[in-house]
Formats: sequence, C-alpha cells, structure tokens
Amino acid sequence: MVNKLGLLIKQLYKQKVRAKSFILMTLLYVVVMAVITFWSDIKAIFVNDEALEVALINETAVELEPIFVTNEDIAFSFPAESTESVYEQLKEEEYDAVVVVTEENETLKADIATYGPLKLNDQSAISSFVQYAGKIYGIQQLNLTASEADKILNSEAMITTTNLDESVADGKSEDQKQSGIWASYFVGIVIYFFIMAFLSMITTDVASEKGSRALEMLLVSVKPSTHFQSKIIGISLLALTQFVIIFGSLLALLRFANGGEKWEMVDSILNELTYSYVFYVIAFLFLTIILFLIIGALFGSLVSKVEEASQVMTPAIMTALVGFYVMISGVANPDTMLIKVFSYIPLTSGMVMPLRIGATDINPIESIISLALLLITVIAFYMISLSFYKRSVLTYSSGGVIQKIKTVLKVTT
Amino acid sequence: MTLTLEHVVKKYKDFTAVNDLNFKIGSGEIFGLIGQNGAGKTTTFRMILDLQDQTSGTITWDGTPIKKINRDYLGYLPEERGIFPQMKVEEQLFFFGQLRGMKREELKREIDFWINRFDLEEKRHNKAETLSKGNQQKVQLIASFIHKPRFLILDEPFSGLDPVNRDLLKDAILFLKEKGVTILFSSHQMDNVEELCDHLCLLKRGVSLFSGSLLDLKKQYGKTKLTLRTNIPKTELEKLAGVKEIKVDREEYVLTLIDESFAESIFEVVSNGQYIEKFSLDYLSLDEIFKDKVGGNGE
Repeated sequence: MVNKLGLLIKQLYKQKVRAKSFILMTLLYVVVMAVITFWSDIKAIFVNDEALEVALINETAVELEPIFVTNEDIAFSFPAESTESVYEQLKEEEYDAVVVVTEENETLKADIATYGPLKLNDQSAISSFVQYAGKIYGIQQLNLTASEADKILNSEAMITTTNLDESVADGKSEDQKQSGIWASYFVGIVIYFFIMAFLSMITTDVASEKGSRALEMLLVSVKPSTHFQSKIIGISLLALTQFVIIFGSLLALLRFANGGEKWEMVDSILNELTYSYVFYVIAFLFLTIILFLIIGALFGSLVSKVEEASQVMTPAIMTALVGFYVMISGVANPDTMLIKVFSYIPLTSGMVMPLRIGATDINPIESIISLALLLITVIAFYMISLSFYKRSVLTYSSGGVIQKIKTVLKVTT
Repeated sequence: MTLTLEHVVKKYKDFTAVNDLNFKIGSGEIFGLIGQNGAGKTTTFRMILDLQDQTSGTITWDGTPIKKINRDYLGYLPEERGIFPQMKVEEQLFFFGQLRGMKREELKREIDFWINRFDLEEKRHNKAETLSKGNQQKVQLIASFIHKPRFLILDEPFSGLDPVNRDLLKDAILFLKEKGVTILFSSHQMDNVEELCDHLCLLKRGVSLFSGSLLDLKKQYGKTKLTLRTNIPKTELEKLAGVKEIKVDREEYVLTLIDESFAESIFEVVSNGQYIEKFSLDYLSLDEIFKDKVGGNGE
C-alpha cells in the first residue's frame, strides 16, 4: 500500500511541478517578492530623485549652518551674496528654494521662497529642519552649553515592561512587538496566498479526476483513503517546493544584493523573535494549510465535473478571506476583541494567532489552546473527510454544496 | 476460480438498487450482465469491486470474500469513458500498470503488444485529451487489463465504438478468455452478448429475471421464431393454428409461434408438398427475449 501511495504522490507531484502554470506562478511570486524587497532601489531607477537645491540665508547671530546638513533629498548651500541676488538666482532656477532665517521677538522666523511649486514632501522636510533650528535657537537663548542642549533634545526615557501575573512572561518591548507585527503580517500573507493557490489546486485536481472517471479506475486498485492521502501529501509537497523556491531566492537576494544591506534589516527583525514564536508560526502555518487542503480535497470529491469546482470552493475561500482581513486589521491594533475571537477559530487562527503571539503580551496558555484547537480540528476533519470521501467520490449529483452533501448521505447510507 | 454472488442486496434510503441477486461465474468464462439503464448493473459491479458495500448477502472469489482478495487480481473498465487527459498514452499505461504492482520491463512488453494490437502506435506519445473518443476508449480499455488481471469487469465496453474497433475489442476479449481471464461485462447491444457470452444474468430494476446459460434461456422460449418466404397472403397465415404474431420483413414473413410443436403442421400447410424457398425455425434472438422479459411480460 505504501508503494501505491508513493506512486500516486509521485505521479501527482511530477505532473503538477512540471505544469506551466506552477512554474509561471512560482516565478511570478519570486519577481513580486524581489520587486517589493528592492522597491526603493527600483524606484530610484525610474524616478528622477535629484536632491533639492536649497539656499539658506542666515540673518541671525546664531550659527545655524551645522543644523542644515545636506542629505540625499536636500542639498543646502549658504551663499554669501545678498538676498536679492539669491532671489534672482532662484528665478533662474539655480535653486529650488531659498530659506531666509531671521529673528523676531527672540523667535526664529523663516521664509521659504520658491519660484516653482514645491512638493509636499520637500516642503515638510525643509519645515522640519527649520523647526529643529528653532528649538536649538530657543535653547541657545537660555545660554546652555552645547552638551546641555543636546541632552535636552536627545534624552529619551527608558521603558521596560513587567507583568506581575507570573503566568505571563515579562512584557515584550515595543521593538519586539513591532518585529512581531511585521513577521506575523508576513506569515499571514504567506498562509493566505498558499491557501488560495493550493486549495484551488487540490479541489480542481480531485474534481477533474472524478469528472474524467479516471478515479473509478484508480479506486479499483487503491483505497479511497490512500487516494485522499496522496492528494494531501502530494499537494503539501508541492506547496513546500514553492515555498522553498520563493523564500530561498528571496533570502539569497537579501543576503547578497547590495552587500547584504537589506539582510541586516531582516536580521534585526528576526533577532527580536523568540524560538517559541518561530515554533508557533511554523505549527500554525503547517496545520492551517493542511486543514484547507483536507477541505479542498473533500469539496473536490463532491462535484461531478471540474467546472463545478469553483462553486464548492467559495465557502472555504471566503473563510480564508475573512481571516486575512481580520489579520490586516490587527496590524494597526493587535489587541482588539475581534482579533482575540478569530485567533481561536481553527480556520482563521493560523493567520491571526501569530499576530497575537508576536505583537501582544499573550498568556502562553492561550496560544497552546488555539494550537490544540487547530490540531484537533485537523484530526477531526481528516477522519470525517476520509469516511465521507470514500462515499462522495463515486456519487454524482447536481445542486449546491449542501444539496451535494445531502445526496451523498442519501445514496450511501 | 469462480465468482459467486449469493443473496446480494443493496438498499438505499428510499429504494432497493439490487434485490437478492445470485449468480456464479466459472473460471475463464465470459458472463454477461444485461438490463436497461438503472437495472442495477453498475451497482453490482461496484459491490463486486468493493467500491460500495452491499446491504446483505455475500460476494466471494474462490470462496474468499471479495474484500479480502488481492486488489490486483481485478481489472475494471467503467461505463463512463475517461482517463487522465494531460497524460501521454504510454505514460498513462505505465502508471496504471505500476499501480497494479507490475515491473517496468514487463509492462513495456505488454504495452507494446496492446498498442500494436489496437493500432495506437502513432498515438503512443500523444496526450490522451488529443485522441478521438474511440481511441481514448481503447487506451482506457488497455489500462483496465494491462496488469493481467484474473477477473475483468467491462461496463458497456462496446458503446461508442465503430464496427472496426468493435471487432478489435471482441477479438481482444476472446484473446483474454483464452489466456484464462474471467470476464464479466454489461452491454446494451445484445448481438455482442449473444456472440461472446457463455452465461448471463438478466436484470430488471435490481431483480434477476434469469441467470444461467444462454442456451437455457433460449430453450425457455423454445424455437418459436419461424421465418418463411411464400406466396400465401398474410391473412391466410394468420388463420393457421399456433401463430401468435406475424411481421413482414421485406419479402419474408416472421411468425411468432405459441409453441414450436406447431411448426410441423404449419410446414405441411405452407409447403403443401411443393418446393418452398425458405422455411426456418429458430430460437428467439437474445434481443427479442430481452425485450420480452424486460418489457414486462417476463415478471
């Protein structure tokens, strides 16, 4: 029986992995991931992002030049000529803007003169420089030393969190929570896309075998349970293959492109994640995908022909969609009641619970309960589906999903 | 080796698909299961193949419950045609053969033999979906027995085949019989059943109307079909004793007699000591018996 299972898995895997649609989809994912990762570099190629030329005329007694530091967006220059002459140069478009800083009632006043309109981003950037200069100016009016001024401007309170409930581990820092949100957002998207792609693949595959009656020939030599298992395992392996290809190439890109500059960012997120978080994420990812594959195979066995596959898939796709949007809502605020409720529902917990684990101070028992619920659901669904699959694969009926289930129950019990 | 069905019943919630079915198929025999659509043929096949459980009764192969025998002993061609559309012909046959535990080398020989016999050499590397319906059917048929089963079930194997391919299939069935394969098949085309079967079972709405040898079935009706070519008008023939029904078929009369014992007296009347071009007394054809039985008179 193991040999037959192996043969079925091999046939399914070979057929799907060689399919043009799978290859193109995988490549598309790699390209999309690469574009997202290197968006800023790609943007730089297409967008003319020359630094804004800004002339600063300082009419105060305070030395402001060290504050207006040239960066990649704005190049400051400090012309010694008269304001009128600089304005002339502005008209001749030698500068994009001229900032004239003066003093009035012990307050810094700045006038931003332009000839053409400024972009909002550029305007905000210049304003923030001026605001900072205003603060320095204010401090200097108090006759503080530079280090005293610096201390006022740059001191930050150190915040640690402690939860006195011993069952909860010490609270996560904001950095950890931020990393948790990003990692969980990523996991949620991965689960969602994999569900969409492979749920549809397994459902249409079973439906097409049933519709083409090849299944009847297969079931003479293999048990329906073996056939069912081969579909789950085969498609899971395919999902794993796609996962490894996409994320393998993504990691390689991050690691080697730009001398690993981007990798440091990913690394810093990964460093904030705990081993238990990684364990939960993998467990939720794996179990959720398996659960949807079981549902997909079962629903595929209900239809009479492949054209009806999308009809039976809709409820499962809608559920995944709900989970996805709840997860997205949690990125802004992961502590809502909505997130809590959906983190326990087995079909959505895979997308939502990692967010709570990563980004909130959750009691570990909650994650264990949610994972256990998911595991029990997977096992229960597997057992129920197995017995139902045996009866539904050879029953042909019309109507909606409920009608099909009723027909199967009617003619097989 | 024999397949035995004893008191097999298959009941669903609101109807009985098969009711108290009994028959036996001897080793190397060709057995026909005939009946109209919905008579219970496919359900019977599925129970034999363990694709469905029977409500009661027993199905055994050589005394062993069918559920316990090696699945690879069985071969099955379903009624609805279909194979893996995306797979190439040869690849498909290798897949089904290997699934039935055959080694590649042995399979290669079998595949070559059958592809050649069914005139599919040019299609060997084509995807199944590109083949004509008839060719797809031939591939599916080969797939059903490529693993050399001991017992082969063919559900409506002749439907959709042109006369040339029908003959190819008939030859193949007889070839398999010679090799000792026991074959159970269903067909709507009674001439095929008549030509191939040793024994048969006639089903009507799940109930067996007859089970046994073809000759015994024909003997039940006797030689009551009389074909004759004569100048005597139909009205005269109708007056003869023992004539139940007369049909005119081109220049011939086809008389249905109440009993074959009337034939002799009819011969004396129509020949009247003279030369007669045609006077032929036969058993009813299976088609006629089927229509009579299933048409309602047989119950």
